[in-house]
Order: sequence, then structure tokens, then C-alpha cells
Amino acid sequence: MRASKLSGLLKKGDRVAVSNITGREASEVSAVSQKYCGNIVGGWALGRGGQKIETLKGSIPVYATFDELLKVTPRERHPNKILIYSPPEAVYGEVKEVVKHGARIVETVFIITEHVSIEVTAKIHKICSEKNIDVIGCNTLGIVNSYDMVRIGAVGGEAPENTFKPGSVTVISNSGNMANTISSYLLSAGIGTVFGISTGKDRLILTPLKDFLKLAETDDKTRVIVLYIEPGGTYEHNAIDMMKKEGFSKPLVVYVAGEIAERYGVSLGHAGSVVEGDKSRALSKKKAFDGYFGTEPFLSGRRYGKKGEAPTAPVKGIRVNVLHDIPAAVTLVMNTLGLKKDFSRSKPIRLNPWFVNLGEIGKRLPADLALPPGVIPEPFSSHLKDRMQNLLKGMIRQPMRDASHASSNDGATPRIYGYSLLELMKKRSFIASLILYWTGDLPGDDFEERIAEMTLIAALTNGPGTISAQGAKLSTSAGNTPNTAMIATLASIGDIHGGNGAKAVRYLLRYFGEQGPESPYDKRVNIRLIAEKAASDFKLKKQQAKDAGTEYERIPCLGHPVFKNNPVNYDPREQEIYEFIKNEGRVNIFLEFYHGLARALKNDGVTRNVLAVNIDAAIACIWLGICWPKLREKRMTVKRAMDIPFISFALGRAAGGAGEFLDHQDFGTEMDMRVPVSECRALSSPRKIGQKGYMNKA
Amino acid sequence: MSYKITELTFLKYFAERYGIPVPGYIAGEAEIREIKKALEKWGGKAIVKPDVIATGRKKAGAIVEVKNIHDALREIKRISSLEIKGKMPRSAYLTEKISAEHEMYAAITYSTDSLSPAITISLKGGVDVESIPEEEKATIPIDIFAGLDAYQASDILVKLSCPKAVISPLSKVMVSFWDLFISTGMESAEINPLRITPDGKPYACDFKGVIDGANYKSKVPGVEFPEYPESFSELEEEMNTWDSASHQGQAYVSDLGGRKILPILFGGGASTIITETLVSAGGDPMFLSDFGGNPPYERMLGTARICFKHKLMDAKLLLILGGKANNTFIDVTFKAIADALISYAEEKGPVNIPVVIGRGGPKLVKGIVVIKQALEYLKMPYVIFGPDTPVTMVAEYAAELANAVENF
Repeated sequence: MRASKLSGLLKKGDRVAVSNITGREASEVSAVSQKYCGNIVGGWALGRGGQKIETLKGSIPVYATFDELLKVTPRERHPNKILIYSPPEAVYGEVKEVVKHGARIVETVFIITEHVSIEVTAKIHKICSEKNIDVIGCNTLGIVNSYDMVRIGAVGGEAPENTFKPGSVTVISNSGNMANTISSYLLSAGIGTVFGISTGKDRLILTPLKDFLKLAETDDKTRVIVLYIEPGGTYEHNAIDMMKKEGFSKPLVVYVAGEIAERYGVSLGHAGSVVEGDKSRALSKKKAFDGYFGTEPFLSGRRYGKKGEAPTAPVKGIRVNVLHDIPAAVTLVMNTLGLKKDFSRSKPIRLNPWFVNLGEIGKRLPADLALPPGVIPEPFSSHLKDRMQNLLKGMIRQPMRDASHASSNDGATPRIYGYSLLELMKKRSFIASLILYWTGDLPGDDFEERIAEMTLIAALTNGPGTISAQGAKLSTSAGNTPNTAMIATLASIGDIHGGNGAKAVRYLLRYFGEQGPESPYDKRVNIRLIAEKAASDFKLKKQQAKDAGTEYERIPCLGHPVFKNNPVNYDPREQEIYEFIKNEGRVNIFLEFYHGLARALKNDGVTRNVLAVNIDAAIACIWLGICWPKLREKRMTVKRAMDIPFISFALGRAAGGAGEFLDHQDFGTEMDMRVPVSECRALSSPRKIGQKGYMNKA
Repeated sequence: MSYKITELTFLKYFAERYGIPVPGYIAGEAEIREIKKALEKWGGKAIVKPDVIATGRKKAGAIVEVKNIHDALREIKRISSLEIKGKMPRSAYLTEKISAEHEMYAAITYSTDSLSPAITISLKGGVDVESIPEEEKATIPIDIFAGLDAYQASDILVKLSCPKAVISPLSKVMVSFWDLFISTGMESAEINPLRITPDGKPYACDFKGVIDGANYKSKVPGVEFPEYPESFSELEEEMNTWDSASHQGQAYVSDLGGRKILPILFGGGASTIITETLVSAGGDPMFLSDFGGNPPYERMLGTARICFKHKLMDAKLLLILGGKANNTFIDVTFKAIADALISYAEEKGPVNIPVVIGRGGPKLVKGIVVIKQALEYLKMPYVIFGPDTPVTMVAEYAAELANAVENF
């Protein structure tokens, strides 16, 4: 191995480059790592050069290739650690590129990818070991160094600092989840960590256990080593042979999983657990460790004596049969060595239910099973309190006759989604309160508030000739009341007039997906590509429909009956919104998409002119932008996101209808909406009624 | 997914292509006159074997020698419908009987010692490799790029005191064996026995191998790997299909035949430990599951629906449990489980079993709020733990609770 101690694998000052960094998981994990330790100098992803991954600690540049990354990055920031997040079929190519261009710089390659073929894994081992590059994986989750507060990969989840606090134990685990889980149990017991290591769990683990143990032995801060072991491979037997032959100065606490699963004859869901030969079986590994320790497995509650007494306190370490005994076994080992726990504050490991509602069965259970609620630790307790207050975030179906998330009134304060109406009256605008009522949250910023207001204004009118204005005028002319006139306005809008926004949202979701870009105002999203794809999809469908002589689905909200004859057409109301967004230095990716689509359709020869993006599209795009974070995080239904643009149009137009009512009532003449008989055209000829029918029977 | 290769597939597709000498063979479904012709060609003797993926075929009486066409036809019929360790053969086939002077063993696999392919050879073939004493077998690593050369095979054979006369033909077979192994993306392969006739000719008289489905070479042109009847439960069958539909997140179950706890478990390691704890504590889990790997909503929804459809009706307790996730979003997975539970109750009526939950990881709080609300709506009794209670303690508690509820 190139590394001579654990910090040789990862320490403060190491510089990390990430392959396929724009992928779903890689970008999310990189953003957390960057916030935690800021050690990522760049990433690469084919065809994505020039993009950036935004994080709370600044943006991570993305290059097209690793070679380009090296050429552009200053020499002193060249990466010495590589994190491979590419799909299985691309992993070998990525590693070859790293070896070709980075052999003198790169010290360690961590391969997160699962399902890499075993042949490729063996080849990676060969080419990397020839260049003296260490490989962790494949199928590792990475490493965290608690003292230096740095990590590579995903160990520690979204907040590594909550689990990995500096202490005495290095956890080496075949499972990434267990590295995290065991470290959190140790921390509860007042024991911190030096390193949390996920070895990878494919059949070939390219840094075998014996190598990790050698590195841990030379690490000054590691006092005790905890191992989480699964069936498969001869790594443990080889490590034990090494410790027996060469001696090993640090105690181990070992948990071996998988024996019962083996007994059932089932594999464990991971490639690494394919059982081949006796040495690779859980039972054989357990026996080998017990033999090395020279003592029986740890028994909770047993008194351990000193050497010479039975049972002896473990010097070389001990194996545990129960996972939650690991902290107690580590404590025993530390006591034996005369080591103090890392933290004075510790909680007993016990059942601590956060929520209990056993209902009727609770009354019939014995006391030890009918648990009372325990204490929810911080920061979860505060987070839960906040979360409970916003009920929309946990939407479930239930009888709603006497219940509402949207409003409440306790007899003193009417509320909208928990916010006092009175406070809203004092502090917020009508449109902000409306956004709250429709989406469950106040607008993100002034920009959203202003732009939503623009959609309402735009919906007020498009002149007296529109169907909806005519509806109001007809009703007024008949002598109706204002509310009836407004209803007539609403009754005159529908799928074709005003309701196209809902279709637009559905259409947009087809191309942006519910898990698309994080922000609807993200300038980095490559809109042109998405729009071109949509245009070519439409072209194909149109052609197929023509060939088959059938109808085809039109693109909603594109084109306008009035604004259509110029080479490039615009709906002036939409333009006003579009220009406003631009002037604010922002984008709305959906509206950009619509403009891109109109251009791409023209370029593809599907349309003669560049069609106008109409106001319905603008309304849909603006409201989809406002709803997007909730939609993406599944806090809002797609149905709601589709309805809101229509409701927005309906609200604006109903108010417009009221304006027409007031005007028409004051200045209109009686029955003026009636079309004179002389102007009506008969489209059928007069016909005579014959003698048939019961009235003529008499 | 890997593909298991039986002797019949080996005979049909690989032996000739890679120049590995094998006995003559004929499928059991062949016309009687062709089987007769084959028997005549082989001197009237043949071995009838089942095409099945199971060990212990000989002990089960499924490999028999026949000496005439009547016996052959009878045995073909019998063996092709003989269940061996719960597995039904696809068919039966006949091979030529090879008289042997020696029986050898040869296997190529990836060694976790050398982290490379390795070949193991023994002159004591025909038995299980683990029963061959260490000093009577030899293993050497193979350079993954250079491959196995005849001189290396010869070196091992010399070391094993192989008769000189057969070293050359055997070395040639070993090189062909390597070519087959590496060209088809195999992860392990075994020829056992490799029979050597009195006149020094080697014949591969049985074969088993596993092709690594993750290797692009597994898509061998012109070869369609046969499907073998598996004794999957309906749940396993449906989940396997669902699992192979996507690489996003794990959707793995293995039916254990239990009757009490329906376990929705996350993480390969955690799910193993939890299942083992449930078994030890008498929780009688219905299956072993692993649904980790950050599944998106739709994936988890489908997975939960499949589990509920097959098992919820009979379960005494629903357990949703995993360790402290690194990258699985708890809100997404819990929302999907909650939605699946609600749709199940809407379709089939109320579910009156307790639910025990334990989890940690990203977006935990949001996930807990969602599932708690769903359980309250469904009026299902519940106990929810956070990551501060070890999964093994939660599993022990769930097992005790399931037993207590069962006795009500």
C-alpha cells in the first residue's frame, strides 16, 4: 500500500475530485461534503463541462474530463484523492483516465459505484497497484476522518459532524450504513471516533482488512478498532494470520453478521456476500476471531476479571454477538487498557421511543412492552416541533368535513396555514397571503410575490370581446346582481379559454420531471437541450399522426389567435413578465423552455413562424416556479400544481368581470346584449308538423 | 444478476467453441432413433443426467448409467421429473460414458487473497473441492491482462506429480478453460471431473459456472441462457421482476416462511442483523428484505405495495427498520410506505396490527411526521424510535410485541 497510516487515506489538506459529479447522488453528496469540509476541488462529467455544482461553501467547477480538470486547476490544487461516482459501465474508463493523467498526483481512488463487474474490479486493482495508487472499494461509501473533520464519499450522511466526533475508536465496516450506525451508538456511550471506514462490500475488496489493520496500528489516535464483518472472502482469516504472525498491538471489538442468513441459505442482497468455501462463512470467521482473542464472546452483564481469572478481561479484544453490545464491549476493552472514555456525558443504550400510540392494545400489554414515550434528543426535538406546525408537509388523506390544513379559527384568531390572518393583514400583501393560502407557504422572496401579482393583473382583461368579459356583460344586461355577473365570467372560462395553464404544467412536468432541477430559477440548467428534445418529440408525433391520419396533441399555451403573423411573435402581456424577470437578473426555467421550444419548432420546420408564448403559458410557468420546491420534495400534489395557474387566471378574470359589470350596469342600455333578429342567420329551412302525435288522436 | 451455467449449456454453447474436449451428448427430447444412434456410437453405454441447478445430483439418484435404449428412455423420463433439493430439472440429457485412468479437478475463480483470477488444480477429481487435502491441490493467481499460459498450467501439474504423458494435453485444456472463463465474463467456473482416458485423452465430464451479469461479456452473441424452474414464492417472483426493472435502490426479498413480522428493512448490513435478531428473539420474520440504496419515491412505493399485497393480511406486526442512513432519504421512503399502506387499507379495509419503526438518516424528522400522521389516520397502533435506539434493541422489542399481540 502507498499509505502508511490511516491519515494517508484521508486527512486535512487532501484535495478531492469527483467523477460524474453532476449525477443525482454525486451532486447531493458533494454539496454536503463541501459544506462539511470543503475539500472538493472539482469534478468531471462527460458533456457537462462548464457547469457548476452550487454548495453553501461556493460552487464546485465541473469539467468535461479528468484531463481537462488537471489542465485548468492550478498545480497546488491538483487532486490527490479521487471519488468515482460513475455508472458501472463507465468506472473502468474513468479509472484508466485517472491513472493515465494523474499517476504522479493521485494517491487514493475511492469507488462508490455498485455493480462493477468483478473482471473490471480485478483490472482496476492491477493497473492502480502498478502505479502505487491505493483503491478503496468498489461499492464503498467512503471514509471520514473525525479529528481533521474531513470526509470523502457519503459516510455520515447529511451531517457527519453529528456522528463522527474525535475520540479513540476507528470503525472499519463492510457496510457503509453500519460504519455510521455503530459510530452513533458509540457516541451515545461517550466514545468518539478517529476514522469511520466503509471498506466496500463487493466480492473483491481492493484494500483488504489486513491492510486497514496495519494502517490503524500505526495511527497514534486509534486506541481500539471496531470491525463490522459480513460473509464472503478470506479477508478476516488473512488478517488474523497476519496478526498472529507479526503480532498486533491494538485491541479489536468484532461483530460478524450473516450466520443465520447463511443457515436459511439466502444471500444477503449484496454481491460481496456470495459464500464460497468455509473460510468465507460467518461461522468460520466468528471462530477464527474467538481463537485469536482467546476468549468467549462478550456477554452483557458478566463480570470480567483480570488475567488468570475466568473469564478474563480481553487484551487482544473480544467479539460481540449482539450489535448493541458494541459500546459496552469497547468500554470493557478501554477499562482493561486503563483508558478513559472520550466524553464524560453519555447516555445509557436503551429503548427510547420517540412516539408511542398503542391505543387499545397498549392497555392489554405487560408494562415492559407498553412503553411510555421517551425523550427525543436534540436537534431532532426542535426540528420535530417545527415540522409538526406545518401540516401540509405531511399530507395524508383523511375525512376533511370538519378539518382543514388551509384555515383555522380558535375563536380568537383566524389563521391561514397557521399564520394569523390579523398579522398577515398588518404585515403582508394580498398576493403574499394568497400564495400562502394556495401553496401552504409564504412566498420565497419579493421577486416571487411581485411576479405572482403580475399574473393576476395580466389575467384581469384582454378587452371586452373575450368570452369571459362577454359572460359578465350578458349577465349584467339581464339585470343580474354583481356576484351573478362574476359567476357568469367564471362560467365562461374553461379548458380552452383560460384553463390551458393546467395542461401547460402537465406538459412541463413531462420534460422537467418531478425530481428535476433543484431551483426553478437556476441559470445553469441546459434549457436549449430540453427544448430541442421537446420540439423533436413533437415533430415526430405530428408526423406519425399525419401518416396515420389521426389527431395529435397540441402543445398547450403556444401560439395566439391575435399575435401570429410576424416572423417572431410575442404576446405583449407575456413579454412584460418575461422582461421583468430578465431585468431582475433572474430566469424562470419553464418560461425559458417555452421560448426555446418556440424557436426550436421553427428551426425544425414544424412551424412557419416563431409562435408566441401566450399569457397562459407565462401564468403556468410563474406558478409552477413558485410551487416547484414543494412539488419536487413531494410536499405538494401534481394536481394542486396544475390547478393553481387556472385558479390564478380565474381569480384575475372574475375581478375583471366585476369591472365589466360595474361599467355595463352604469352605462349600458336595457337588453343591449340582445342580438337583433335582423342580424341572426337561419341555417335551417322552415318545416311543417304533420298529423301524428297524441294531441291529434281525439 | 448472474447466470448459472450448467453442463448442458456448457456442452451446447461453449465446449466446442473454446476447444475443450467433452464426451458426446444428446438431449433427452431428441427423437428415439437419434438416441438409439448415439448409444450405438458410444458402444451402447451412456450416462443420464438432469439439467438442473442443484448440488447432490448423484446422491439423489439423478445420475445413472444406462446400457440400452429402454433403460435410457425410462431414466430420461424419470430423471427429468425428479425434484432435487426442491429444484425441478428443465430436462434430462445423455452423455457418452468416458472410462478414466485419472480424474482431475480444475476451477478458475477470483481469489480474495490475490485480488485476481486464480486457477486451482487437483489430481483428485470427482469429489467436492473442500474435501481434497490442501497438499493435493495447487492454486496460482492469473494475471488478469496476460491470462493463463500453457507453461504455467504445466508448472502446476508438475508440482502435483501429474504423469508426464498427459501434461501437454492437460495444459492445453487449462488454457482453453481460461479462454472460456475470461471471454464470457465468468466469475467462477469448475470442471469436475476432468477424466483422462487410458490413452491419455482428457474429457471435461461435468461443468458448472457463474457468469457475472455486470460484465458486458455476459451478453454472449447467439447464446440465450436457459431459465431454470426456481422455487420462488409469489412475493419473491414479483419482487425479483420489480428489482430487475431498475438499478435505483435495492428491492430484495428472500422468503423465510415466517408468520409473524412483516419486515420492511433498509441497508444490506442492517437488514441482515435485524433479521438475525428477529429470528433469535422468536419474531418469526416473514422474509429477509433490503430496500436501502436511496430508492426514489415510485420505486419504494412499488416495493412496499408488493410486500403488503402478499404479506400484510397475515402479519401480526409491521416493522419498518434500518440503521442510520448515509444517503437514503427517509422522508421519501417513509412517504412511499405510508401511501402504500393507506392505499392498501382503502382497498382491503382497516389493518389492525401494531407498527414498530426505527430509523435514522437524512430528512428523518420529515419522514417521521409523514408516517406518524398516516398511522394516526389509519388508527394503527405504533411505536417510533429514532437513531439513538440500536436496531437490534428495536428488533428484540418488535419480536416480543408481536408475540404478545399474537396471544391476545
